[in-house]
Amino acid sequence: MDLQLDFVSSETLESKTKIEKINFIIGKIKENVILILEETLDPMEEAELIETTMREIDTEDFHGIEFYRIDHESTLRDKIADYISGRKTGLTIVGPTRLIEAIKRGPDYISMFAKLDIPKSKKKK
Amino acid sequence: MLGSFKNVLRRILRVFNKKKIIQLGFYGPVNAGKTTLANKIAKDWLGKELGNVSEIPHETRQVQKIENVEVSTGSGKLSMNIVDMPGIATQVDYKRFMGFGMDDEEAKTRAKEATKGVIEAIKWLDNVDAVLVVMDSTVDPYTQVNVTIIGNLEARGIPMIIIANKIDIKGSKPDAIESAFPQHLVVPISAVTGKNLDELYKAIENYLT
Repeated sequence: MDLQLDFVSSETLESKTKIEKINFIIGKIKENVILILEETLDPMEEAELIETTMREIDTEDFHGIEFYRIDHESTLRDKIADYISGRKTGLTIVGPTRLIEAIKRGPDYISMFAKLDIPKSKKKK
Repeated sequence: MLGSFKNVLRRILRVFNKKKIIQLGFYGPVNAGKTTLANKIAKDWLGKELGNVSEIPHETRQVQKIENVEVSTGSGKLSMNIVDMPGIATQVDYKRFMGFGMDDEEAKTRAKEATKGVIEAIKWLDNVDAVLVVMDSTVDPYTQVNVTIIGNLEARGIPMIIIANKIDIKGSKPDAIESAFPQHLVVPISAVTGKNLDELYKAIENYLT
C-alpha cells in the first residue's frame, strides 16, 4: 500500500489563522495523510487540535489522531529571538490513528510506528 | 487570551476571599486513576464517593464535582472543591470498548460520550484555580497528552502538582515522571491504598493555595 507523508513548510502555516491551521491539519489527516509540520504548535493550538479531533471523530472512519511535538533545542538567545519573531522552531508529526500506532521518544531519536494494513477503500483517492 | 485573563483575575480575587476554597481540577490521560484518587479523598473526608471507576477506558465521561471538601493537613485546614475531569485523549475507537464485552450500540454510545467528555475537560481549564495532573507511574510519562496538559496549564498560569499514581504496583517508576517533568513538583502516591496522601495534602497546601 502507499503511505503518504506531506512536509508542510512554516511559511505555508504562518499565513493561516489558528482555526485555518487546525482545519487544514484535520482535513489532511482525514485523507489518511501523515503530516510533518515545520513548526511546533503552541499548547493552546494543541488543545484546539484535540478538541476539533473529538468533534470530528465518527464511529466508522475516523477514530482520532496521534501527534508529537519535537522542540528545537535552543539557547536562551534563540528562544528570545523566536519569541520576538513569533517563530515556533521545531517539528510536529501528526497523523491518523488508523496509520500511526505510536510515536515514542528514545534517548536521542523519535520513533514512529505505522500500520500498513488499511483497506484500499479507506485510502485517499 | 481571555481564559488567561479570567484565571489571573480569579487568583487575585481568591487572595481577598476569606474562605479560600480552591477549585481543584483533576486532569490526566485516560485510566491514570483520577476518579480513584477523587473517590479516596471524598470518602476519607466526606464519607462518600464521587464516581465509578473501571478498567474500561473512558469510565468518567462527564465532569464530576464535589464541593467543600475540608482536609486537615496537620498544620491547618484545606478547603477545596474537587473537579474530576474525563481523561484527555487524542483518539476514541468504539471497537476498543467491544473488547470489554460491550455490544456495538453500547460501545458507540460510550465513544460518543467520551469525545464530548474530552471537550468538556478542555473547556474547564478556564474554570479551575489549581490542578493535580494525575499520571500512571507504570507507563511511559513522556506522551503528547501529558505534554499538552502541562503546556496548557503553564500557558494559563495555573499552578499544578504532578501525581505519580499507582506506586503500589510492582515496577512503577515515579522517578521517570520526575525526570520527564523536572520543572514541576511530583508527588508519588497510591490512590488505591492511600499511601503518601498526607504528603499530597501538605503539598496542595504549600504549593496550590
